[in-house]
Amino acid sequence: MTTSSHEPNPSKMLTALANLGRDGVKRLTRAELDRGLNALHDRMITGEARRRGLFRWSVIGAAVIMSTLAILHWRAASVSVRALAYQIEGGRVVEGGYLREAGHSGMALLFEEGSTFVLTPGTRGRLRAVNKEGARVTIDSGKALFRITPSNDRHWWVESGPFLITVKGTVFVASWEPTTERFELRLQQGSVVVSGPVSGGDLTLRAGQHLVVNLAKAETLITEETPQDAAIMSASAVEPSSVPPTQQASSARSEPAVPQPRTPVTTPPVNSDSERHWAQKLANGQWDRILEDVDRTGVDATLNAASSEDLFALANAARYSRRTELARDALLAERRRFPNSPRALDALFLLGRVEESRGGRLSRAIPWYDEYLALAPSGSYAAEALGRKMIVTKETGGATQARAIAEEYLRRFPKGSYAGTARTLLRVH
Amino acid sequence: MPSSRSRVSLSLVVSQGRQETCNAELVRGLISGEGWAIGETWHRFAPMVSMMAERCLGSRSEAEDICQEVFYRMLRRVKSLREPDRLRSYIYSFAVRVVRNALRRRKVRAWLSFDEPENLVDLTWEAPDMESRDLLRRFHRLLDRLTPRDRLVFSLRRMESMTVEEIARAMDISESTVKRSMAHATERLSTWMDDDPGFSGLVETLREVR
Repeated sequence: MTTSSHEPNPSKMLTALANLGRDGVKRLTRAELDRGLNALHDRMITGEARRRGLFRWSVIGAAVIMSTLAILHWRAASVSVRALAYQIEGGRVVEGGYLREAGHSGMALLFEEGSTFVLTPGTRGRLRAVNKEGARVTIDSGKALFRITPSNDRHWWVESGPFLITVKGTVFVASWEPTTERFELRLQQGSVVVSGPVSGGDLTLRAGQHLVVNLAKAETLITEETPQDAAIMSASAVEPSSVPPTQQASSARSEPAVPQPRTPVTTPPVNSDSERHWAQKLANGQWDRILEDVDRTGVDATLNAASSEDLFALANAARYSRRTELARDALLAERRRFPNSPRALDALFLLGRVEESRGGRLSRAIPWYDEYLALAPSGSYAAEALGRKMIVTKETGGATQARAIAEEYLRRFPKGSYAGTARTLLRVH
Repeated sequence: MPSSRSRVSLSLVVSQGRQETCNAELVRGLISGEGWAIGETWHRFAPMVSMMAERCLGSRSEAEDICQEVFYRMLRRVKSLREPDRLRSYIYSFAVRVVRNALRRRKVRAWLSFDEPENLVDLTWEAPDMESRDLLRRFHRLLDRLTPRDRLVFSLRRMESMTVEEIARAMDISESTVKRSMAHATERLSTWMDDDPGFSGLVETLREVR
């Protein structure tokens, strides 16, 4: 198709249209200009207000964000730096990290994240280090029970004589007798690695295995235990010598330790009401079994039938398992049924501890501590009772009220576990 | 002795320096947020902005909104103006950017709503005759088919009579890009108009009317 001479040239047509578009636009009238100016003024006022509001909210938002970040950073920093908190019951840590038993009931270290160490009566050990990642403890002699809360971020080490037990999440009993050079480890849950003078390098033990190393005789023995065996062995584990010689199928140190089936030894029935052996189970760290017994028998029936020692063991098992209500009931039953027993006196102090751990009822602990201190001013828990009373009073009534208790504490127990806290309290106020 | 009155014509000449001073005072007033400066700036430059926007967009109401937006933005950023004598080009560059954004928004809005772009245009042309108005309406429909950049370049070049350099500076693009856009727009518009037989008759009518 060709363009005829009468048809407009596209460029001319475009030019004509562009000119029309240019010339066809009307100039703003004076009224339109004034109206536009007023609209501009209005917009500037509202825009300024909006901008100020936006700026104000931006500042507030930024402040909130910065504060939140600062708090999170501070918390993260404090968490990352702060070592694990723990409480000690039944003793204290003295210079060099030595764990000194206050009475004759053993000691317990309760860590904030749930892990628990229990040293049986007479056991000597040291708390070598406690940091954010875990702890390192040494058993110089005797037996200790460890219930470690599983965590990938924490590491626990137990030195037992020349052996090092590397722990993750597990429950086990370890003992070391320096006079006979006998090391024993009974693993209930999880797994551990034992390093030391054993042949074949490190030993990895799994749940249900029982390791006995007799350095004097150069014997290493690993046995497998069924749950029933474990219960029976737990009952007899208090006395290392009670392990029958037939079960100590020895193997030379040069030979790798081979797991061997174990034949149950003759022991009384475990679940008999009259032969609960809860104190022994507690000593072996078998708190779950104690609580299982109670759940099976019934709480009320148990509280009305159990012996004084069993009630006390039950109370401790419940405390270590964070079942504070059951612990409280057991201790009250101890007080009610055996008011003149030595355990009834100890129960007073433990009732105070239980009240503290119930949350929101801190002040209810003080009367228990007062009663204990009144009845046993020189008792094995006297220093702890007074120290806890000072702490609780400071928390509930303020530092001023706690000052008098701090002075009394320093006067009576100048080297006690709470002496540092007491001095700080007096120095600050 | 009475002297013969000379017939020298007088004319008021505003020197370049005086113009600069005025602009400088105006800018100082704008920076201080003084009302007289805002009013003076508005009355001096709003018609220019409004007409440019209306030519480029083909919409009177949209041009008024553009005018508001341009001055609102300019007043907020006038402190960044270092050469007061460039106040006019400063405002004009604001206007070009705002118009370009408006064209882009219009394109997106038309695409999203599946609406014909020309339906978004309200023409209030000064042309008195129906034929001219119809011709302009059809012309803007074609302009709507261009990309925002091509359309703006074409409008600034053909309707605002700006040079390639001025357009490049105002749109912050290279001169070669301006030339390419201009050629592209002209070619496409010519093709579309060539394909539309109604245009030839309308243009003839327009010539007769004008």
